[in-house]
Amino acid sequence: MTFKKLWVIAYRDLGRNRRRSGLTMLAVALGLAVLILMSGYIAGMVDSSISDSILLNSGHVQVRAESYEVEKASLEWQDLLGNSSELLASSAGIEGVKAVAPALWASGFLNTADETIGVRVTGIDPDSSFYDPIRQGIVAGEYLAADDRDGVLIGKHLADDLGIGAGSKISLLVGTSDGETDEDIFTVRGVFATGVLIYDEGRVYMPLPKAQAITNAGERISAVILLTADAETAYPVAAALRGPGRSVVTWEDMNALILVAIEQGMSFYYLIYGIVILVVAVIIANTLLMSVFERTRELGILAALGMKGRQIMTMVLLEAGTLALLGVIGGIVLGSLVVWYFSINGIPIGDEMASVAQGFAMRSELTTKFAPADVFGLSLAMLVIVLLAALYPARFAARLEPVEALHAL
Amino acid sequence: MHAIELENAVKTYQIGEVETHALNGVSLTFAEGEFTALVGPSGSGKTTMLQLMGCLDRPNSGAVKINGQDVTKLSKNKRADLRREKIGFIFQFFALIPVLTAYENVELPLLLNNVKAKERQERALGLLEAVGLSDRAGHRPDQLSGGEQQRVAIARALASDPLLVLADEPTANLDTANGAQAMEIMQRLNQETGTAFIFATHDPRVMSYAQRVIELQDGRVISNGEPTQ
Repeated sequence: MTFKKLWVIAYRDLGRNRRRSGLTMLAVALGLAVLILMSGYIAGMVDSSISDSILLNSGHVQVRAESYEVEKASLEWQDLLGNSSELLASSAGIEGVKAVAPALWASGFLNTADETIGVRVTGIDPDSSFYDPIRQGIVAGEYLAADDRDGVLIGKHLADDLGIGAGSKISLLVGTSDGETDEDIFTVRGVFATGVLIYDEGRVYMPLPKAQAITNAGERISAVILLTADAETAYPVAAALRGPGRSVVTWEDMNALILVAIEQGMSFYYLIYGIVILVVAVIIANTLLMSVFERTRELGILAALGMKGRQIMTMVLLEAGTLALLGVIGGIVLGSLVVWYFSINGIPIGDEMASVAQGFAMRSELTTKFAPADVFGLSLAMLVIVLLAALYPARFAARLEPVEALHAL
Repeated sequence: MHAIELENAVKTYQIGEVETHALNGVSLTFAEGEFTALVGPSGSGKTTMLQLMGCLDRPNSGAVKINGQDVTKLSKNKRADLRREKIGFIFQFFALIPVLTAYENVELPLLLNNVKAKERQERALGLLEAVGLSDRAGHRPDQLSGGEQQRVAIARALASDPLLVLADEPTANLDTANGAQAMEIMQRLNQETGTAFIFATHDPRVMSYAQRVIELQDGRVISNGEPTQ
């Protein structure tokens, strides 16, 4: 018997109970759409956390003194880079480098009349294009000028928490290179919002010369930050910068925590994927089993006419395959539309949620990202699992004894 | 050589702890082209006998031979092959596949036998014409009357040009006129094709069409009427 004819029977069998077939297809479609949305959410989260971290914090490559420790934000002279202007100039000349910026990091406390908050003070070159996202993120006041001697930029969350804004005077207590502290009064020149909580609530930017002066760092800097044309270019650029007394790290080293956390988090998502697919598989198996029970006598007739077990099995599997395929197509369309919608409008996860991800560049509103390889993999997994789930009812149908099947009600 | 032969066939069913003897050592032979009625009250073993002859079931002991071949030891697949090639079935409940049209139902055994498309079409349409349903070829079973459905079933049973057609109470669900029409068609096709028809019935009007009447009671043959024509 031709495969085509078996498919015709299978296809028409699905039309007998359209509501049941429709609901089953809907279950497949909704299940897959949820998985596609989850994969889009994860892809969006991974993409934005890493790219935000690179663009707003780490850059693709950093050059530091060999003894520098990021966690300590050390300001001791031996931990800082001297002759930075030479290094900055040579770095800018390397092929694939898009932006170069010096940075001096110091821990500090921001004091107002009512409150004291720990902050990270960063001395920057305001003219460097690396700080374009900050420049573009100014929501009040203005961006820094390179020769500004008492102006700082603070994040919007910090400003809101302290009830201050552009033009407000603040007192900043900063650690110095000799282990002491120094305090100065600054004017909030501008307020920026990057959309990433950890940057908007704990960063203070000031021009590099002022930061070097207040921390007593002289001409020294903590690091040279480089942005490269893309993530892959970071490796050859890093290789070109390596030299004695220097530590050169890439975005991958600097975001290792995020990458490990994502990898660990994925096992949880895989568990959810598995549960959703399993639920859909059980629905399919149940639908087909009901359909086989209802048609037991008919299957007996087909067997009486000489249809073999494997042909009956193929017929039931074709029914499952058709249900699954139509459901998967529907799921891809539905899931892609939802991912597309949230890639434009974003999913608000709230500041509380974003603040839970400590050390992560997590936005308060996450946008999804369509991940074609994930969609393909999930769709294929759904098809395969559904067909495997259909094996039980299919084998049940194939093993029916004709004489018993003919007497079924 | 007989077309079909039962040798001391015994069939018992175990339902719970109760053992029911459906056939108690039946020995019978059937020639090609016979038109035979199996009669007897309910529970006399008619349907069981048809199931054994139709390779749908196996006897507990004894043998069933088709064209001299003992079919009782054949595998499930081999018995399916035998049914497909040599046996047609007509059931009391019409037993058409509801998602297929009358034409497709008749074509189904030909498809199972891998008959080429052109030949399939000619044969299926020819049989539908023979049962007077050429104009109903595209209708599905739920669009046909009971009598029409049973005529489609007759056409389907003959599609593969089988050695014999087994019919279990073929007129039980039909009114008198449709029952008579079905019997007349079967009788005519028996004569035209030479295919043997063995049908179980307890309707005296149906018995009157038979060339030979075999009477069963409590799983035994109590009368083995010789062909009347």
